[in-house]
Amino acid sequence: MKTKLNGFLTLLLALMVQISFAQEKTVTGKVSDASGPLPGVTVIIKGTKTGTQTDFDGNYSIRANTGAVLQFSFIGMKTVDQTVGASSSINIVMQEDAQSLDEVVVTALGISREKKSLGYASQSVSGEDVSTVNSGNVTNALSGKVAGVQIKRNTNMGGSTNIVIRGNTSLTGDNQALFVVDGVPMSNANLNTAGQKTARGGFDYGNFASDINSDDVESVNVLKGAAATALYGSRAANGAIIITTKKGTKNNKVDITLNSGITVGTLDKSTFVKYQKDYGSGYGAYYGNTGYFDEGDVDGDGIDDLIVPLTEDASFGGRFDPNLNVFHWNALDPDSPYYLQKRPWVVAENMPDTFFNDAVTYNNNISMAGSTDTGTYRFSYTNFLQNGIMPNSELRRNSFALNASSKLNDKLTVNASANYVKSDATGRNETGYSDNIITSFRQWWQTNVDIKELEDIYFKTRRNVTWNPSWYDNPAPIYWDNPYWARYENYQSDSRNRFFGNMGLNYKITDWLNVDGKVSIDTYSYIQEERVNNHSNPTARYSRYDVDFSEVNYDLMLNFNKDLTEKINLNGVIGTNIRRTDSRSIYAATNGGLIVDRLFAVSNSVGIPSAPTEGSAQIGVDGIYGLASFGYDKTFYIDATFRRDHSSTLPSDNSYYNYPSIATSLIFSELVDAPWLSFGKVRVNYAEVGSSAGFAQLTDVLTKPDPFGANPIYSVNSTKRNPDLKPESTESIEAGLEMFFLSRRLGLDFSWYKTNTVDQIMPVSISTATGYSSKYVNAGEIQNKGIEVSLFASPIKTDDFKWDINVNWAKNENKVISLYEDVTNLQLGSFQGGITINATVGQPYGTIQGTTFVYHENGQPIVIPGGSRGAVYKKSTTTDNVIGNMNPDWNGGVSNKFTYKNFNLSFLIDVQKGGDIFSLDTWYGYATGLYAETAGLNFNGVEKRAPLSEGGGIILPGVSADGTPNTLVSNFDFYGHALGYSRAVSKQHVYDASYVKLREVAFSYTLPTKVLDNTFISGMQFSVIGSNLWIISKNMPHADPEAGLSSGNLQGYQSGVMPSTRDLGFNVKIQF
Amino acid sequence: MKKISILLLTLFLVFSCSKDLENLNQDTKNATVAAGESFFTGAQKNMVDYMASINVNRNVWRQFAQQVTATTYPEEANYNITDRKIPDNLWAAMYRDVLKDLDESAKVLNATPTVGTAGATTLKNQLAIIEVMNVYAFATLVETFGNVPYTEALDFTNVLPKYDDGKTVYLDLIARLSAAITSMDTSGSSFGDADIIYGGNVANWKKFANSFKLRMGLIIYDVDAALGASTVSSAITSGVFASNSDNAIFQYMNSTPNTNPMWVDLVQSGRLDFVAAAPLVNAMNGLNDPRVNVFYKDPVGGVIKGAPYGANNSYALFSHIGSLFYESTLPHVVLDYANVKFMLAEAAERSLGGMTPAAAAAHYNAAITASFDYYGVSGAAAYLLQPSVAYATATGTWKQKIGTQKWIALYNQGFNAWTEFRRLDYPALVAPSTGVVNVVPRRFTYPIGEQTLNGASYTAAASAVGGDLLTTKLFWDKF
Repeated sequence: MKTKLNGFLTLLLALMVQISFAQEKTVTGKVSDASGPLPGVTVIIKGTKTGTQTDFDGNYSIRANTGAVLQFSFIGMKTVDQTVGASSSINIVMQEDAQSLDEVVVTALGISREKKSLGYASQSVSGEDVSTVNSGNVTNALSGKVAGVQIKRNTNMGGSTNIVIRGNTSLTGDNQALFVVDGVPMSNANLNTAGQKTARGGFDYGNFASDINSDDVESVNVLKGAAATALYGSRAANGAIIITTKKGTKNNKVDITLNSGITVGTLDKSTFVKYQKDYGSGYGAYYGNTGYFDEGDVDGDGIDDLIVPLTEDASFGGRFDPNLNVFHWNALDPDSPYYLQKRPWVVAENMPDTFFNDAVTYNNNISMAGSTDTGTYRFSYTNFLQNGIMPNSELRRNSFALNASSKLNDKLTVNASANYVKSDATGRNETGYSDNIITSFRQWWQTNVDIKELEDIYFKTRRNVTWNPSWYDNPAPIYWDNPYWARYENYQSDSRNRFFGNMGLNYKITDWLNVDGKVSIDTYSYIQEERVNNHSNPTARYSRYDVDFSEVNYDLMLNFNKDLTEKINLNGVIGTNIRRTDSRSIYAATNGGLIVDRLFAVSNSVGIPSAPTEGSAQIGVDGIYGLASFGYDKTFYIDATFRRDHSSTLPSDNSYYNYPSIATSLIFSELVDAPWLSFGKVRVNYAEVGSSAGFAQLTDVLTKPDPFGANPIYSVNSTKRNPDLKPESTESIEAGLEMFFLSRRLGLDFSWYKTNTVDQIMPVSISTATGYSSKYVNAGEIQNKGIEVSLFASPIKTDDFKWDINVNWAKNENKVISLYEDVTNLQLGSFQGGITINATVGQPYGTIQGTTFVYHENGQPIVIPGGSRGAVYKKSTTTDNVIGNMNPDWNGGVSNKFTYKNFNLSFLIDVQKGGDIFSLDTWYGYATGLYAETAGLNFNGVEKRAPLSEGGGIILPGVSADGTPNTLVSNFDFYGHALGYSRAVSKQHVYDASYVKLREVAFSYTLPTKVLDNTFISGMQFSVIGSNLWIISKNMPHADPEAGLSSGNLQGYQSGVMPSTRDLGFNVKIQF
Repeated sequence: MKKISILLLTLFLVFSCSKDLENLNQDTKNATVAAGESFFTGAQKNMVDYMASINVNRNVWRQFAQQVTATTYPEEANYNITDRKIPDNLWAAMYRDVLKDLDESAKVLNATPTVGTAGATTLKNQLAIIEVMNVYAFATLVETFGNVPYTEALDFTNVLPKYDDGKTVYLDLIARLSAAITSMDTSGSSFGDADIIYGGNVANWKKFANSFKLRMGLIIYDVDAALGASTVSSAITSGVFASNSDNAIFQYMNSTPNTNPMWVDLVQSGRLDFVAAAPLVNAMNGLNDPRVNVFYKDPVGGVIKGAPYGANNSYALFSHIGSLFYESTLPHVVLDYANVKFMLAEAAERSLGGMTPAAAAAHYNAAITASFDYYGVSGAAAYLLQPSVAYATATGTWKQKIGTQKWIALYNQGFNAWTEFRRLDYPALVAPSTGVVNVVPRRFTYPIGEQTLNGASYTAAASAVGGDLLTTKLFWDKF
């Protein structure tokens, strides 16, 4: 932005000044600043287009007439005019200029403002920084780059990314940041089911901000606090991500850019199960006569044979013995090469980690930008294709973008943007517990089962020949399908056609007053289809969910900007906004199976399908707003905003709300004369914003279960609505300090904030003895306070070499102050393993609750004799113990950029400290004996799994009831031991979610322009890009601590989570 | 200036739109009112679905009665009912899914104008039937938990309902049931087809109400003999079930969600979670009971073989629930004639309803015969002739004789079987050594949700019942 601005200014000035006539000669010299020579300084003969630049050593050479004025300009420096005199050598020492550093940023409602005048925190990220590493979701690329923005991507293909700015403010509402692209609010919805979000099963369909094409992003500005977003009124509570897309530039040529990349992702084994390899199928020693094998006459010779306990989805069975031959699952199928063959009882050669493919991503973009006499334009097309690590998974996206602006006459400018995106996915991975292959791999698996053999038999037969049949003579799966069958026969697909764009007119009434009118729309039509073929373990089914959504915004803004005196400037906006959203959906599914195999149509239903579920929700908000910004001597600024919203989702006598804000800033560097201080500003603000009720939360409606035969059924809805709702309201105060030192080689941006959100709209759980499960109330308060620090430094800056560091760090402290009446706990979600996620008074939002240890007064957990099943941890009798919290203590990121001549190396380290996760994977997986920890030698040097009588067992760390160290040996010879779900306390499976990740590494080489001088190519860049290459540190075993279920308010829980990938890519960018 | 006028027009639009913005907030796809009958049908289905379910998240009573036991995942067989929040599920099913909809049904019916005297009679009968179902649901709660919210229940404005004394509630329920019976007019109609138990037949409902009242009278007898006696007498006088054709059965259909819930868990899921439990199987085998081959399938070595209760059991090594119970259309027995006949035998032993102990044997024989008949098993007469079965010669007190045979006849009626065990103390069921408690539970612990959402009321109730434990005997369970 700033370069452009300077360029224009220079050009304008150059045109205005008269050309003087004199003798032409060569003028040379050196340009420097306080720190040394300045390369890249523009030297232009004032009034002409003739110019040059200083080289790496700050030297320049130009032919000019005596008497001509040389103008030296450089970003961040005061422009110097020097008349050419007798001497043909002119050396210049340039001075910093705080004013010229005025970065212009796009703020709420698309209003461009000088950053220095803002009384609130905002942080920008360049388009390059979000597009270098393209994960398919632009949200991911902000991770670690903006202080105070907490991003939790997850490992699902095309999965949703949780983005929360400055903590959760709403107990049960949406806490995700608002996305705005070129002034168009973009739905970042996540249409995952409640079952998906509570780990019961289902697909993660991703969050819809992923439709934003990172190749088209010019810049991202993050508005963090309420004062920054106050002009959005009732949708301002969660902060905003303001994205500006690339536009054509006015340079009388067509810029064509080709950007092409390929990325290969490989399994990061540290995020997947490390299996034990000593024991196979079973839950203990209670099968057949041997204890470890079922018996039956498999081969029909009249003699019972030993059979692997096929029905069991655990590996707490017999010790492997290569000399023992038994019948395995694939001895039972006539198409198997091992049909009726006994094979050794050994660990599988190919464990589930071999199930994953390498993920390959192709991203190809072409853009054309340019200008005409009256305007600019830019076209862009991107093709994105990603194959996930799961077999039969694919994401495809085609994005088209058009941006144009034209000056119709002196006063009237029209600009428009149109974006069309078609996103398709096939074979997203299942998430959560049920029917999820990864749940099987992580929780319920036999280590004797070979993945490759499952693959071979599926592709040979296209039947569901599973490792987990109901019995040796009944091949129907009991719990788990052949995973290849599950991937290829039971797959989902989804497709979204999305258009977003706007058209606006700007009419310049006078030079200080103009009016903007704009209509913008974001609309999509969307379908999710889910399939389960016949012969699967889950009941065969097909379902489709169709959604049509649109949001239309009409904006009319009167902008003024006037210097009242030489020192006093007043600018601002008066405007109105009309917003209408319309969302319609229909869900239809088969019932009781499919008639014809592989025919996925609702009509192919065995039973009569339930009536489709329809939804139709319209929301409207009408707002009027004003912003007045008063500036004194470019030193002191005060902003006041006001918005009044009229919301359709509130009761009519209660539907108008006012949202004020006031923000001030003082640029104190203007007041002090300290050469080391390049820029200094303090800012303070206060704001009140809100968030309105959801659709139709005021009136009770009935639920409509399926009829019983010809008898219709209606039922009272289990959630009691509330006709007296008012909006949630957030009050926020914030203070900040921005400073730059030593010619801007060092910079600091610090913020402190406190927000209190009251009158929460929430369905509180109530005793079902009331006849309801929950009722809507307006109550409760959450407080968030925190600090954010950004540091910028350029420790080394020489002619050839430059090193830039950017550090972002933020800590948010969240506290639930009150809930509803005497209620002290609000359950947000209930999960398997006896776990709940809650808002608890006096605690941070998102406590993980479950059973815990009983501690001795010396702080150690107490171990008690557990009877015939061995010693266990003493378990709390209650399940409402706080055993963790999903909020991290702090997040931070450190990015480094090294530039050496045409080489560029950058890397980003992303850190999260704290936060907890309950793992259902180890909760079950320890019991089922999959993990390495469940085998091997014990304190005696004997196999843990040996009976106590043979010296087996484990000693739990802890103390006996009297406080002395525990010496009781716990049985470890069957699944019901003290570490797994059967007898563990929940807290045994809560892990610290901290991580240090090498998030991004990019190495690029830009071809020197002289190489390309005589070609049609004007620029070329090669890059090698790594993403998530190395989890430097984590405390969560067997999984990525970022892996989770979905975006939204329920975090801190893992079940059947995908492993993560290390991504390495190669990218070529060519400009013509 | 044309553009300016367009802009002004937009401004005008703001204010014109804004007036009736709230009209957008109408849910046009969901009903706000519906016929009273539709709530009644739903309540009936929810009630029976719960009682019929064998899902380990919902209904574990068949295991508590040791009729079946688990294979790989025996947590519930070992009386761990908190992990899966079974008490919470029962609580919600009865209060929210049954009682609330019954309440709504009565409200809507009362507010719907009736036509003529026939209409008035129909309404009266409908309300009486609703009342019978209310009593059934509340009785199930009291018999399971003891003290429960009653006078303050079903009111969303009071989110902290207090618990009422179990006995007080139970006596009130008996009174309500008597009043409902009195108000029934068997010449009139009621719900018609919307009643999916009796098709609106008021006479049948009256017999059911009396039979259930007989049951309540016997349950209360040990703690209030006088009231028990009068309750039993008035029920018998008014008319209880007289044959299997009076049975309260719920006929399921053959496609989801209207199949017997057992079908979903046993067949549709493809899971193999249950095997026959040794205690009932051994008892039946010992009595040469031919019903064992209906109740169970897959004999091992020619005989039905039950697994040790509460252990980890291999599905293959033991017999399984009988084929009959794998039918999607399997009717669920809410209350049957055999049970009533056993109750009459007990009433005779207690000299109630004008009977003497001499009458017990005939009722006992009729009860067993009714059970054979219901399952279409022949040989009842021969069975009854065995000294181990014959009333005169079978082992033990009348409680043991009736208790043992009733346990068999109440196969697949888990809740009734568990309650009769608690009341009669026969058969002598033993808790597994791995159990969470070392006796067969005498009640359910209160829902975890009550601890967190209704804490003060919960705490008071827990102490009032004598401790919120599985082992606490309820007020009616004196022996």
